[in-house]
Amino acid sequence: MTEPGRRRLVLLSLLAALPLAMAAGVALGSVPLPVGRVIASLVSAAGLPPWGAPLEGPGAAILWSVRLPRVLLAALVGGGLAVVGTTLQSVFRNPMADSGLLGVGAGAAFGAVLAVRLGWAAHVFLALPLAAFVGAMAAILVVYLLAHAGGRPSLQGLLLTGIAVSALASAGTSVLLVATEEFRVKTVLFWLAGGLEGRGWTHVQLAAVVILLGVTLLALLSRPLDVLSLGQDEAASLGLPVHATRLTIFALAALVAGAATAVAGSVPFVGLMAPHALRPRVGPLARHLIPASFLGGATLVVLADLAARTVSDRLDLPLGSFTAFVGAPYFLLALRSSEGRT
Amino acid sequence: MTAVLEARDLYVRRGRDAVLHGVTLSLATGEALALVGPNAAGKSTLLRTLAGLLRAAQGVVLVDARPLGAWSRDALARAMALVTSEDEGPGTLAVEDRVALGRYPHRGPFRPLVEEDRAAVQRALERTGIAPLARRRLGTLSAGERQLATLARGLAQEPRILLLDEPAAHLDIGHQLRLFRVLDEARARGVAVLAVVHDLPRAAAWADRVVLLAAGRVAAEGAPDAVLASEECARAFDVKVRGHAVPGSPHPLYTFEERP
Repeated sequence: MTEPGRRRLVLLSLLAALPLAMAAGVALGSVPLPVGRVIASLVSAAGLPPWGAPLEGPGAAILWSVRLPRVLLAALVGGGLAVVGTTLQSVFRNPMADSGLLGVGAGAAFGAVLAVRLGWAAHVFLALPLAAFVGAMAAILVVYLLAHAGGRPSLQGLLLTGIAVSALASAGTSVLLVATEEFRVKTVLFWLAGGLEGRGWTHVQLAAVVILLGVTLLALLSRPLDVLSLGQDEAASLGLPVHATRLTIFALAALVAGAATAVAGSVPFVGLMAPHALRPRVGPLARHLIPASFLGGATLVVLADLAARTVSDRLDLPLGSFTAFVGAPYFLLALRSSEGRT
Repeated sequence: MTAVLEARDLYVRRGRDAVLHGVTLSLATGEALALVGPNAAGKSTLLRTLAGLLRAAQGVVLVDARPLGAWSRDALARAMALVTSEDEGPGTLAVEDRVALGRYPHRGPFRPLVEEDRAAVQRALERTGIAPLARRRLGTLSAGERQLATLARGLAQEPRILLLDEPAAHLDIGHQLRLFRVLDEARARGVAVLAVVHDLPRAAAWADRVVLLAAGRVAAEGAPDAVLASEECARAFDVKVRGHAVPGSPHPLYTFEERP
């Protein structure tokens, strides 16, 4: 099969996989909902001509206030994190780059723990995700300011600053956790472990605005991203304003990753796994890899969330642990096979 | 001949170290200029300053008699291309897509490539002889093929000035000859070519003119064989240069010995 043909096939499969995964995510759970009636409910809610009998009573309540927002949020978070991974990997020219490098995760955790420690999370609606988002943005701002203190930083300088700021924020998080009353610690531990338990439409709306806007703008920057992946000198010699472009991409990536982390906590490995698996199949050009990563990451997290809440009868496993359980072995295997090839 | 590229009295620092001390040179339409010199003489720094990637602390670079600062980024990248021997493109990138990124200054971030761009990419692939590799991924190429792909990107830019930093660094002799032939064909179309060349005999055989850079200054400049035979050249490399006339060849055969 020709290369464009293969790429189209991969994109079409991903395009089909996401709705299927979402349908499974909505239908399956401790109370199974018949897929036909779920579709009927969606069709009637959309104002289309009736198609079968919509869900009623508790089934409708589960669909509209529990499953659907949760599945949509999983798709947004997964898609957003995968696109952030893809773009940062292009900019850093390193397949292991992720939003964590910019201090986003550690900053968000610090913000979340602060909100819990000060008691905001218990009293103010959405205080925890908003504090996490502010924490993430503050962390990347500090990384940016520190890295620029000595003139325009190299990518390596930015990376090392990100690591230092992350370490500081994590230390602050630990200190705050120790100083927090025990009954509050559990709230924040649940958030840190990553999960979509109890998220509603407000979370979906907040995440959708930021993540979809950020992902769309990053996709529009596809060609500058491709030029950047050739390295700083070549990109500059092709007329690309390298520092301004990088800054724009970092800011957008931080917004998307910050929003995803704010609503879902830490969901590791999605930003690494989806682009890593798709790059050899659709190629590294951003205009192909960004949409593919979005669909792949969204499907991955929808399925991971489904598995996390259905694998055990007795407890919901944290989503973040689940993506790590799957992601870490995947990565080790991928590493081994790529080392075997060279 | 009119100068398309001119450097006047350039002083450039990298960090705290002054690397170039008052370098002046010019390049004419269709000319082949080889920049030679020992390691750490400032050749790459000079090339990057000419390309506008490094700023001179003093002095000016003129393209078409206009200072670099007066050019827009895109217009400058359409006028002048830089090709280095470090190819940092991702290994999964296809050769053709890599070469097509050379059209960036013509189309910018948002306008799609048109027939004219695809034709320029195809010409660049054919001129460098890598058209059969168009759909191969960079990671599957030899170092020499990757170097030709980088050169093809520079040709796809369709510049009037081509700056090259050790373009033959990774090439075997066959690929080297092809590369310099490609550069000569570009010159025949009016492109001015300035190349940093490590191999002195190769520089002498290819260039119209040689500039010898030593310790950040132009130590000698002129006809290739005159520069190679000069005392400045011997001093710069700390070697003895001997030229042996070869019947039927326009250039002497050079040998080098360490100076006692």
